[in-house]
Amino acid sequence: MTAEASLAGKAPRFVVLDSGCYFSSRESCEKVLGDDVLVLDTYRLTNYDLNPHACLVIDGFVDQQFLYEKRERIQQFLDRGKMLIFSGNLFLPWLPGASLFVPKPIHSHLDYVVSIQGSHPIFAGVDANDLTYNKGVSGFFARGHHPVPSRAEVLLTLPNGEPITYIDRHSTRGTLLVHSGNNLLGYNDPSNTTGLIGKQLKAWVEEEYRLIQARRETQ
Amino acid sequence: MRKIAVIYGGNAHQHRTFYETKYRRYCQELIYLPELHRMSLDDYDVVLIPSQLHQRLLMESQSKLIDFVQRGGVLAGLGAQPTHLLPGHGWEFRPTNFWWWLDRDASSGLVANKPDHDLFNYITLEDATWHYHGVFHPPAGVDCIINVEGGGTILYVDQLTTSGTLILTTLDPEYHYGSYFMPATERFLNGFLPWLAGGKLHYHR
Repeated sequence: MTAEASLAGKAPRFVVLDSGCYFSSRESCEKVLGDDVLVLDTYRLTNYDLNPHACLVIDGFVDQQFLYEKRERIQQFLDRGKMLIFSGNLFLPWLPGASLFVPKPIHSHLDYVVSIQGSHPIFAGVDANDLTYNKGVSGFFARGHHPVPSRAEVLLTLPNGEPITYIDRHSTRGTLLVHSGNNLLGYNDPSNTTGLIGKQLKAWVEEEYRLIQARRETQ
Repeated sequence: MRKIAVIYGGNAHQHRTFYETKYRRYCQELIYLPELHRMSLDDYDVVLIPSQLHQRLLMESQSKLIDFVQRGGVLAGLGAQPTHLLPGHGWEFRPTNFWWWLDRDASSGLVANKPDHDLFNYITLEDATWHYHGVFHPPAGVDCIINVEGGGTILYVDQLTTSGTLILTTLDPEYHYGSYFMPATERFLNGFLPWLAGGKLHYHR
């Protein structure tokens, strides 16, 4: 859905930033298209009103220099009880609470093995082996991590406990999900258990957003 | 040494690649893409256009880039080029086979078409071997350096289509190196950038 089309009806829950490059448009935008998703050119963030939407989705192809210039807008969006999903490698401090990406020194393919921590609805039914391996080859999912802020909920780790996916409910008045790999919303391939992630992530956002709004009403 | 300007999109993989000391030394300037429209290219010999740049912003500076090459400059483009930003490449999309190397009797299908080209004093064919997202069909007479068995080229030098030099490859080494993935891409960049800065671009038979 385009920004113009959304004005006519109910605002889609998700705004996916289109980084404008070939891979981003294909991998992050086309794969997640739906009535609940609005795809917005990154540079339109300058004057686009995000308020009608619940969750901003940003991939690793994005211009982080631009987002660093817009970091106050991002913080303000989250402080209004909104959500943000970032999948990528952070090299500038524009994401509240987040630290810069730390690449993992790789000595063997086993250094890429992914573990699911506890049980979380986003990864329910997902086989950790399917996260680690694609046709028997590892390394596609995550090749490093972002050190977590205090009180973050860690969902996935690499073998030495490096947190590759975490939820942060404390750095802002909203909720962030930070992942050091490809756009998590784009995992929709039904031939693999990782294909569950996209839908389950959307369902989790719905529930999390409902809880944030309920909490704000009682404050 | 030729003066190289790199168009820089502010993304993580380009940041990692072009700020890496061993590569940064070959890059006179990193031009931030949103500022390209008001920057002069007059001081540079080579403009390097990496893959995975914001296509609309890049197309807005198309005439500036074409003017640069028509004045005798060298334009080098990395990665898939499905747009018509640069002339004459005859891009053909090919479904990417990421897995050719897992097959029995694995062959990438790549061929050194001009094995005595100066580029091969800087890289080997293996350094250019990972996967490709399509092939080019450039005009007859240009120097196709790495071809694909069965038709098409993935790296060529064109000094016929414009008054300058177009160097185009479907390979996207800066994306993979910058994403901490695929060691061959580092070896490719270790040779390609020094060649771009100081090697012989023109092929002498």
